[in-house]
Amino acid sequence: MADAFTDALQELREFRGDDPSRLAEPIARSFPVSGASISTLGEVLSSETVSASDPLAARLDELQLDLGEGPCWDALRTISPVLEPDIRHRPRGSWPVFLPAIAQEEIGAVFAFPLAVGHLRLGAVDLYSVDPTTLSPLQARQASALAAVVSRLILRRALEAASDDEPVAAPVDRYSRRAIHQATGMVIAQLGVSVDDAEMLLRGHAYAEGRSMADVAGDILNGHLRFTVETDGIEDLA
Amino acid sequence: MKGELREARLIEGFATLADTLVEGYDVVDLLQTLVEICQDVLAVDAVGLLLADETGELDVVASTSEDPRLVRAMQLGAEARPCHRCFETGEQVSLVGLDGAPAEWSGFRDAAEELGFGTVAAVPMRLRETRIGVLSLYRTDTTALSDADLRAAQALADVATIGILHERVFRETDAVRTQLQRALNTRVVIEQAKGVLAHTHGVSTEEAFDLLRGYARSNRLGLHDVAQQLVGRTLIF
Repeated sequence: MADAFTDALQELREFRGDDPSRLAEPIARSFPVSGASISTLGEVLSSETVSASDPLAARLDELQLDLGEGPCWDALRTISPVLEPDIRHRPRGSWPVFLPAIAQEEIGAVFAFPLAVGHLRLGAVDLYSVDPTTLSPLQARQASALAAVVSRLILRRALEAASDDEPVAAPVDRYSRRAIHQATGMVIAQLGVSVDDAEMLLRGHAYAEGRSMADVAGDILNGHLRFTVETDGIEDLA
Repeated sequence: MKGELREARLIEGFATLADTLVEGYDVVDLLQTLVEICQDVLAVDAVGLLLADETGELDVVASTSEDPRLVRAMQLGAEARPCHRCFETGEQVSLVGLDGAPAEWSGFRDAAEELGFGTVAAVPMRLRETRIGVLSLYRTDTTALSDADLRAAQALADVATIGILHERVFRETDAVRTQLQRALNTRVVIEQAKGVLAHTHGVSTEEAFDLLRGYARSNRLGLHDVAQQLVGRTLIF
């Protein structure tokens, strides 16, 4: 399994293709589960299944997206994994609509990992097993690591897709670019992230709010906006 | 500044520039030193240095203050005459009294006047046919820079330019471009490092630059190296 995980990590890191629909397969192969799915949900990206390794994985996703509740929503809300090793008989979470719905399906265990970059909540990776099963702490960490790579990939794709639209792609003059670089530095220091991640967060935040990067950079520089690693993720001091 | 004092400072300025031109020197360091010497030696109130990127567009790489309003005025000045014309022709261009500026560069005029500037002179950074940028000199009053000041400015600019276009790279235009592009990229990292320090020290981005430069100087490190390490979080001070 360790090899499958290493392979999956590399495959996801190197993914540059146009079609993300097969991304769930290497994730599913990395763990002793029946299948995996990747979905976007929440306030930043519209709800949709990006990839599912098999029809039942797709069904599990569809149910949660349609019903608006389930492990993937909780994982995203809390920015931490939701582990349901025996969801049919001993569910830990309380989902009044979702639990009866999956009782109809051949699903014994569900493990949901949040997709997030910094404070931006993007979606979730779901693993499911036909029979009840557990993930070891190492496997849970590995799944979180894969989800982290998928998060960046998903956000980068969303930003590329949006880059033809206003206002994210609004022409930036040379002076504003300085402010954007300075704000990037502030985010690096605020979150302890890399330059690339800080830039992506800045752009992602602008995208999520439908504003220009220069605008968001201005708010960061004047202290109205501060990225933090607290549970809430962001402080809007405006 | 008159006579011997001025001459002494000018000589000191040339010596400082020459000292900066050691093996493996940092281009932005050199240019930052150049603008500081100009402000020290010439009768000017602010100095900026603009380098041309690959497309020939001028970008502010060094300035005597990191005040965002000043940087913005200098950047606007890059697109307006006299800086633009100076770069195009490789000749010095002066504008005394910004009131006379035509409408198409009213953005520059307004930004410069808001800071109290009345006069701007642009001095080319060039060696023979190769033009790499413009040194821009600002005065708050509306009298022209003296001929002596313009000559001194040109001489200082020439030393820096020759330093950048030194023998080895001068034979290869690509190497010059690479060097200049690196200087412009350094500016990006410096801005990011200013942001890092502004946050960690709770200071303005202007003060952050002073911290950055102070640290680089007292540890005999290049601005680029220090900025890079701050941004990569391998250096914290």
